Amino acid sequence: MDPDKSALMEADLVRMAREGDLASFEELVARHRDKVYARAYSMMRNEEEALDLSQDAWVKGWQRLAQFQGDSSFITWMTRIVINLCLDQLRKHKRQRAESIEAMEEEGGVERQMPVITTNPTAGLERVELRERIDRALAQLSHEHRTVLVLHEFEELEYKEIAKRMKCSIGTVMSRLFYARRRMASLLAGLRREGSE
Amino acid sequence: MKHELELTVQAWLDGELPDHEARRMGELIAHDSEAAALAAELGCIRQAMFRQEAPVPLAESREFYWSKVQRQIQREATVRAPEGVPWYARLRRYMGPLVGAAALACLLVLAIVRNGSPAFDEISSTSDGMEAVTFHDQSAQMTVVWLQDSSAATDVQPVQKIIPHENESGTVIDLE
Repeated sequence: MDPDKSALMEADLVRMAREGDLASFEELVARHRDKVYARAYSMMRNEEEALDLSQDAWVKGWQRLAQFQGDSSFITWMTRIVINLCLDQLRKHKRQRAESIEAMEEEGGVERQMPVITTNPTAGLERVELRERIDRALAQLSHEHRTVLVLHEFEELEYKEIAKRMKCSIGTVMSRLFYARRRMASLLAGLRREGSE
Repeated sequence: MKHELELTVQAWLDGELPDHEARRMGELIAHDSEAAALAAELGCIRQAMFRQEAPVPLAESREFYWSKVQRQIQREATVRAPEGVPWYARLRRYMGPLVGAAALACLLVLAIVRNGSPAFDEISSTSDGMEAVTFHDQSAQMTVVWLQDSSAATDVQPVQKIIPHENESGTVIDLE
């Protein structure tokens, strides 16, 4: 750890890292590793895979530093890299899964039949509890539904951008997002009932 | 409610509709209780999730986490071509195999021109009334020849000549 680096502004660290200073890059990793890891974990739901992918993302970040133009913040740029790596990994998983399961998830037949939740399942929850319940509900979604929710609600990407990253149509994004939200509503309502019992 | 309408309600909620369509959808939701209920449910989830991602603590220490990243960076740096390599050296690396392949192709063309065409083209027939059909199987390294006497109204007579591949060049089959 270099105490001199910790006092530097992020833009200076990025500039020095681009010039080949690995110590500056290490400081950037130290500052943002939690966020990059958290994004990988939210998509993969597997600690080991998330750890590997987040570290791979930093290696890619170092190799592509010359391409970073500063249009977005450094952490936004790094987050995009880890998202792409996670999507590639999820595509590999998808190829290994049975097509029939895929089709069932994509149709969203169950979610369409669910009655609309009329009472807010998250009303009155403290922030910590709300986050914990959202996390538990997210863990129960399929990879496709969770990914589209993470990209839309946490990364605040538009439909078009999500479609580009997930290599699917905007219609598919809309459909997945719809089913994912409906499933989330049902899961959160269930968690609320559990909590009140 | 039709699925298309459900998705349009959602797109309205996410601000993904153009202005004129968003106005029309807003009016529909104001008058349609089913659409309004769906919009409320979807909006509730959207609102609840907005910036409410649970923090995920990373168990690894800073040094341990960085050490793997650093090792990988250094490993890949040695595998990749160094930045300082001059352009002609890089060109030579790719041109070498290309020149070799081109030379081999030239030699093959020359060999074919000098030795003439392959064996099955040299099959000759002594009778004007005879017709020959040849089939050459490269994988099995053999040539099969069917003969037919067109003057006599007979069926194809399979006269099978198996010509080993290595003897193809210059082999003449005498068909009598």
